[in-house]
Amino acid sequence: MLKGGIRTRIHCALLVLAVVPASSQAQTAGPSDQETVAQLVEQIKQLQQQDHDLLERIKILELKQLAASPAAEIGPSPQLIPPLSAEQTTPPPTPADVPHDWHDVHGIQWRGFGEVDYQVLNQRKPELAAGGFVGGSAGNFYTDDFGLFITSRLTDKASVLAEIIFEEGDAQSYSVDLRRMLLNYDYNNHMKVSFGRYQTNIGYYNWAFRSAAWLQTTADRPLVMQYASQGGLLPTQAIGVSVTGAIPSGKLGLNYVAEYGSSDTNRPDLNGDGQVTDDNNGNHVNVGFFLRPDAVPGLQIGTSYYHDQISNNDVNALTGALAPPLPGVLAPSARYGQTIVNAYAVYVAHGFEFLNEGFLIRQALIGGSLHFDNPAFYSQFSKQLGRVRPFFRYQYVNANSNPNSIFDDVGLRYGPSFGVRYDPNNYIALKAQLDHTAREGQPDLNGLQLQFAFTF
Amino acid sequence: MGVKSITTLLLLGLTVVSLVSRGTAQAEDIAVVVSSGNSATNLSLGDLRKIFSGAKRSWPGGQRIKLVTRGSGCPERVVLLKLLAMSEDDYKRYWTAQVFRGEADAEPLIVPSVGMQKEALNLFPGAITLVNVRDVKPGMRVIKIDGQVPGVAGYALR
Repeated sequence: MLKGGIRTRIHCALLVLAVVPASSQAQTAGPSDQETVAQLVEQIKQLQQQDHDLLERIKILELKQLAASPAAEIGPSPQLIPPLSAEQTTPPPTPADVPHDWHDVHGIQWRGFGEVDYQVLNQRKPELAAGGFVGGSAGNFYTDDFGLFITSRLTDKASVLAEIIFEEGDAQSYSVDLRRMLLNYDYNNHMKVSFGRYQTNIGYYNWAFRSAAWLQTTADRPLVMQYASQGGLLPTQAIGVSVTGAIPSGKLGLNYVAEYGSSDTNRPDLNGDGQVTDDNNGNHVNVGFFLRPDAVPGLQIGTSYYHDQISNNDVNALTGALAPPLPGVLAPSARYGQTIVNAYAVYVAHGFEFLNEGFLIRQALIGGSLHFDNPAFYSQFSKQLGRVRPFFRYQYVNANSNPNSIFDDVGLRYGPSFGVRYDPNNYIALKAQLDHTAREGQPDLNGLQLQFAFTF
Repeated sequence: MGVKSITTLLLLGLTVVSLVSRGTAQAEDIAVVVSSGNSATNLSLGDLRKIFSGAKRSWPGGQRIKLVTRGSGCPERVVLLKLLAMSEDDYKRYWTAQVFRGEADAEPLIVPSVGMQKEALNLFPGAITLVNVRDVKPGMRVIKIDGQVPGVAGYALR
C-alpha cells in the first residue's frame, strides 16, 4: 500500500514535470498559422542582420578611435569605448553609467584643482606673510594653490607628468611653481624610475596628498608636512631621480623607495618676520621601505631615512640680502648634516582614515658637537558617513628654538584640529576646521578655516 | 489524488525551485578574465586587489596591465567595489587621487557591455576584466583566484 502510494506520487510528479514544459512549449509555438511563423522568421533574420551590422560598426568605431590616438594602444587609450546611440541599439541589460572622459585631449590628460579659503585667527599678527594674510587683520580670504596637472604617455612604459602651481603670496601676488615635472619609466612592478622634480617620499602624507587641497581630508597639511615654500619643516621637493617598486615578499607586500637629488629649499619663517631661511641643501639620499600586507587591505606601514647637508642663512624675503647675524649665531658658512627619520602606520579602507606619522629631524654641525633634535608627529582620524567626513587631528612639533637652529621660528607647537568635510559630488569639497595651537613663549593660537576645494 | 500526493508534489516543486536557485547563485560568480594571449593562469586575491587598485601595473612578463571595468550598478562593479572595500564614490575619488599622485594615467576603462569587454580584451593584450560567469564567451580566458575557478564552493568573487 505504502509502496503503491509512493509510486503513485512519483508518477504524478513525473506527469506534472512532463506536462508543464509541454504546455508551455505549446503556448510558445502558438497557432500553426504558416503566415505568422514566416513573419517571425523574417523578423529574426532582420534582427540578426542588425546585430551583425552593429558589431561591424563597433569594430569600425574602435579602429577609428585607435587611429585618432597614436598612443592609444600603449596607455592613455581612450578611456571609453563610446556606446552606440539609442537609435542604433538597445540599451545594455544592466545599468551602466558611462560618462565621457573630458580629461583626455589627443592623448594628453588634463586635470586641475584649486581652492578658496577663509581663515580667522584670534590674533592680528600674521603667522606667515603668505596666503593672503596681512598684518592687522584677524581674518582673510585667500586662494593658496591653483594647479594644472598634465600627463601623457610616450610609450608603453614611459610617460611624462607636470604639475604647475599658481601659488598665492603676500598682497595677492602669485608665483608659478613647477611643483612636479617627471619623466616616468615603469620597467616592471619591481622598478619604476622617475627623473625630474618630484615630491620626496619622506613619510606617507607627501606621497598620498600631493598639492591638491581637494585630495586632503583636512583644510591644511600638518605643519611638519607643509610645503617648505610655505613654512614646512621638511624638504618636500627635490630634483633628481626616484626609484620605487615591489620587493618579492609574498603576502607581506614589501616595497622600497630610493631617491637621490638636490632638494635646495627656501623656507619662509613662520613668525612673520619677513625672513626666509635659505637652506642651501646639498644633494640628498632618501631610502624607505613600506609594507602593504594582503591580510589587512588598506594598512600601510613604512619607514624612511633621509640625509643631506644644509646651512642656516636668514635672508630678507623681499631683497634676498643676508640678514645681519645675531650675537652668538654661527657664520653663514657653517654647515649642518641633516638626518630625517620617519616611521608611519596608516589605515585607509571601509571609509576609515587613520594616519599616524612620526619624525625625528636631526641637524648636527659639521666639525662641531652642536646638534639639534626636532621631533614631530601627527595623528589623524576620520570616517566617511555618506557625503560627510568628520575628522580629528592632533599634531606636535618640538623644534629647537636656539638661534642657531634652522627652525628657531617654529619652536614648540602642539594642539588638536577638528572639523568636517562635505562632498556634494565627486569634484567639490567643502571643509570647516577649528584649530587650537599651543606655542612656546606665545599665547595659544585659535583658528577657524573654511575651504571650498575643487578638482576638474 | 489525495492530500498527501499534493503535499508531495509541492515538496518536489520546492526542491526543484531550490535546486534551480542554487544553480543561479553559482552562476552569479564573477570570473576574472584576461586576453587569450596572457600566460597567467592563477592570481591570489591579494594580487587581484593590487591589480585593480593600480598598485600592480604590469604582468610578470613586463606587459602593462590594462584594467577594463563595467559601469556603476553592474554585478561585476559590485564585486569590484567589494574587492577594494570601497563605495562607488570612494572608487571615483581614489582614482582621481591616483592620477594626481602620478600612479595612474586615468580611471580604468569603463565599457557598457560584455561584448565590449570581449573587444577590449582583443584590443589590449594586457587587459584584465571581471565578467559574470554566465556571460563568459568563447575567446575569454578565465583565470583562477587562489586556485579556484568560478562556481566552486569558496570562490572569492561573488
